[in-house]
Amino acid sequence: MSAVQARAALPSRKLIVVPYRRVSLAALSTNIVLIMLGGFFVLPMLWMLLASVDSNPGWAIKLPSLTLANFTDVLGTAGALSSFRSSLILAGTTTVVTTVLAMLAAYPLSRQHIPLKRSFMLVILFASGLPVSMLLVPVYQLYVTLGWLDSLYTTALFLAASSLPFAIWLLKNFIDAVPVELEQAAAIDGASTLRILRQVVLPLTVPGIVVTSIYTFINAWGAFLIPFVLTSSPDNQVGSIEIYNFMGSHGLFQFGDLAVFSLLFSLPVIVLYLVMSRYFSGAFNFSGAVRG
Amino acid sequence: MLAEVKFEGVHKLFGAETAVEDLNLAVEAGEFMVVVGPSGCGKTTTLRMLAGLERPSYGRILIGDRLVNNVAPRFRDVAMVFQSYALYPHMNVYDNLAFGMRAHGVAAATVASRVKETAEVLGLGQLLKRRPSELSGGQRQRVALGRALIRQPQVFLMDEPLSNLDAGLRVQMRAELSRLHERFRVTTLYVTHDQVEAMTMGDRIAVMDGGHLQQVDTPETLYDSPANAFVAGFIGSPRMNFLPGRITSLGGRTAIAFLGTTAALNAKSRLISDRMDGDVLVGVRPEDLSWRPAAGPDSTLTLRAEVDVVEPMGHEAYVTALCGGQTVISRFPPRSGVRTREQVELALNPDRLHLFDARSGETILQRPVAGGAELFRSTGAAWIGAQARAGPERQRPSTAPGVPSQSEEDVIQGGTA
Amino acid sequence: MLAPALALLGLLFVFPVLYAGYLGFTNLELVGSRSHDYTFTGMDNIVRMLGDYVFVKSSQLTIIFVVGSAIIGQSVLGMALALLLRRAVVPVRLVVGSIVIVAWVLPEVTAALVWYAFSQAGGTLSILLRNSTANYLVLTPLLIVSLANLWRNVAFSMLVFSAGLRNLPTEVLEAAEVEGASTWRRYRLVILPLMKQTIVTNLLLVTILNLSEFTLIYVMTQGGPGIETMTLPLYVYQEAFNFHQLGYGTAISLVLVLFGAVFSLLFVRAARNQV
Repeated sequence: MSAVQARAALPSRKLIVVPYRRVSLAALSTNIVLIMLGGFFVLPMLWMLLASVDSNPGWAIKLPSLTLANFTDVLGTAGALSSFRSSLILAGTTTVVTTVLAMLAAYPLSRQHIPLKRSFMLVILFASGLPVSMLLVPVYQLYVTLGWLDSLYTTALFLAASSLPFAIWLLKNFIDAVPVELEQAAAIDGASTLRILRQVVLPLTVPGIVVTSIYTFINAWGAFLIPFVLTSSPDNQVGSIEIYNFMGSHGLFQFGDLAVFSLLFSLPVIVLYLVMSRYFSGAFNFSGAVRG
Repeated sequence: MLAEVKFEGVHKLFGAETAVEDLNLAVEAGEFMVVVGPSGCGKTTTLRMLAGLERPSYGRILIGDRLVNNVAPRFRDVAMVFQSYALYPHMNVYDNLAFGMRAHGVAAATVASRVKETAEVLGLGQLLKRRPSELSGGQRQRVALGRALIRQPQVFLMDEPLSNLDAGLRVQMRAELSRLHERFRVTTLYVTHDQVEAMTMGDRIAVMDGGHLQQVDTPETLYDSPANAFVAGFIGSPRMNFLPGRITSLGGRTAIAFLGTTAALNAKSRLISDRMDGDVLVGVRPEDLSWRPAAGPDSTLTLRAEVDVVEPMGHEAYVTALCGGQTVISRFPPRSGVRTREQVELALNPDRLHLFDARSGETILQRPVAGGAELFRSTGAAWIGAQARAGPERQRPSTAPGVPSQSEEDVIQGGTA
Repeated sequence: MLAPALALLGLLFVFPVLYAGYLGFTNLELVGSRSHDYTFTGMDNIVRMLGDYVFVKSSQLTIIFVVGSAIIGQSVLGMALALLLRRAVVPVRLVVGSIVIVAWVLPEVTAALVWYAFSQAGGTLSILLRNSTANYLVLTPLLIVSLANLWRNVAFSMLVFSAGLRNLPTEVLEAAEVEGASTWRRYRLVILPLMKQTIVTNLLLVTILNLSEFTLIYVMTQGGPGIETMTLPLYVYQEAFNFHQLGYGTAISLVLVLFGAVFSLLFVRAARNQV
């Protein structure tokens, strides 16, 4: 029943209406301030959008003389496409490795009684915050020794290692949210551990797995320093390094191409974020951390 | 500084849902008005509208003579005790009590003395430095009370303040609240779902159901003369027995046939119904249905019944029995010795019967109520006003189907029974 | 089941961490004789750092950057956004919220690029400030880089505070309203104190996250002009991979970790004191 129908259903006795100001000053100013802030935030991004369809772009935001030439330019360049491919390999490998390992680790961490579990989790969280700068040198040395330099796959391994702590923490929290009683009930009903995992835990953890893998992918896609240090040949340059290279070559600036490239490079990540936000609504509730 | 409260034509809609419909209620200055009803009946919404936490969709709310619809809560001079107490968890008891006064810019010295006073009255003197998390439920409740008292507002609002307390504490606090009201006499609107609280504490009780005000009267009147079956069933524990019956006649007098027997109605009572021989709903309170051997001389009606369940309560026993194909509950003396499957005789005083319209639930029998000249007033469906003092307004549910709207004003002088 | 994760972590995480702890005290270099024959040099690197004016400047820049852009900037703006969005009409909330979050989701390089464009001579900022020949990235590099970082990361604080605000007990806030508190008083005496835990948590996380910020600054300025934006992470990279001083570079990164630990301790201590 809509509001109109509800009102119509009220007795025909006269309804007393006391008028009031629908829009208060506070509400108005709040919204205006927000709109202004939003506008300011959008400015840098706007350049990229407008320049990508502009046949004669500069550094500033200006009305574009619309064209799709920039798009065809970029999409036709082998270098551009190969860097996308590299990014995909790097991010994809990282995500798969991270998610699988994190899942394997998070389940026992969540369910089993492991001594010193709390301290272990704290160490893990702390590890997520360690600066990559610190790890790069020893890892570089290690890779030199192992001959693992300049390979997207080995780079992905290290990227996975650095993404693993946070992924484990995330996934463990998601698994924690699945009540143990369900598994116990399944066990009483006679299910084996594997079956329990497959049919009880896994389906309920899917949102958590989705969130974790998307988060890992987004981070890996945008990774810069690690691939920058660990890869060198042009074939292995990921998209982020490609953009950097573009920016460095001053005289040869094709603003439009640059804008298009970064736009295309950013799109997958934005799409994935939108997908994730449907699953993600509870995860940023730091109620556990807040207590501590 | 006492104020009266008036709700005039108040409706509250949440989207398509009507939480409160056509509420007309007047609370007198200094009165303790209890608003009672099952969950979802709109009582909390009503309270919150008075506090200013919700805005009525239609209608007027007045505090004193002031129209407060557009007045923010902080300017209404009301104090509220929340069901969850809502104490400031990060402040100690002293600061919790002082918060309201400080918000109004009261001088520190005055604040100190008033806090001390209030703490004394409520027995919180030793707890001033503690935080809410360090207090027991009863202590927190008293701090919540103190926070409201200390502001000396025009109106007190209480939202089921006792429901989070254990039974013993609840009884204690009920008495405490009544004592406080006697002492300070602040106009109070008290919301609860517990009819025992309502009956014991209220000067008057407003019964609500489904967003509608069913009846507003003193506890005694609500008990003796409920306006409809809902009120009759809500007030009184154990619940009134509702039985199907028919209007008929017996020896020239109007009578009711129910439970396999026929009872003639008291000559002084009046039946308001457009069907002189139709189906009705008969109401019998368990306390009016007694065990024959223990019944008084007025219980002229005898019914045979078979005992089903006996629940000993210590001071009496609730006996569920099958009588005339219906299940009835009756109050028995504590050690009657009756057992399941036993055939017993139940006694009933026919003057204590309630009659309700089978479809609308409205009371259709006006009975003379013992104790002095009574004024009966009816507009349309039957409802019974209160006693000698200026009859409080009483609302009839506006959606009662099939009830003729008679414009006659019937005034009956009922003599003593 | 834990084994694979532990193995990977052990090899590529724990081992490097420990190894770094050792390397910081050596004279390892990337190429040349010292790339195989390197020795443990004790406190030499530390002595070198203390006398290195670039290191000192870099440390200062890092602290200014973290305090300005993260601790103050992101926390204040994040809180402001969370509070404002709470009261905004739904369309505004959705649109503005999404814009702020998209800025966060963009790959860092893209963020660096758009801010590069924004602050160049002839870029949007210079046009807004009516000085179209001014290259703000060169004129006020630390400021621009801090703003870019703020722009990019404020969504995180905003989300943390939004969650915290949603968890506030509504009845307590309503009680404050009924008791007569003005809006300002409600914020000062009820809302903010109740948010204290969330605020501390946020400060902690934000500091850790921003302390190691590399990509955004490097892509925009490479540390320049000169060493105007050479924060510690960038300095580590420069020393280790440009100047091949792997040992020294690692030592500097250890200092960075130390900074992080100190900040964390300070916050945790501060939070505990104000129980």
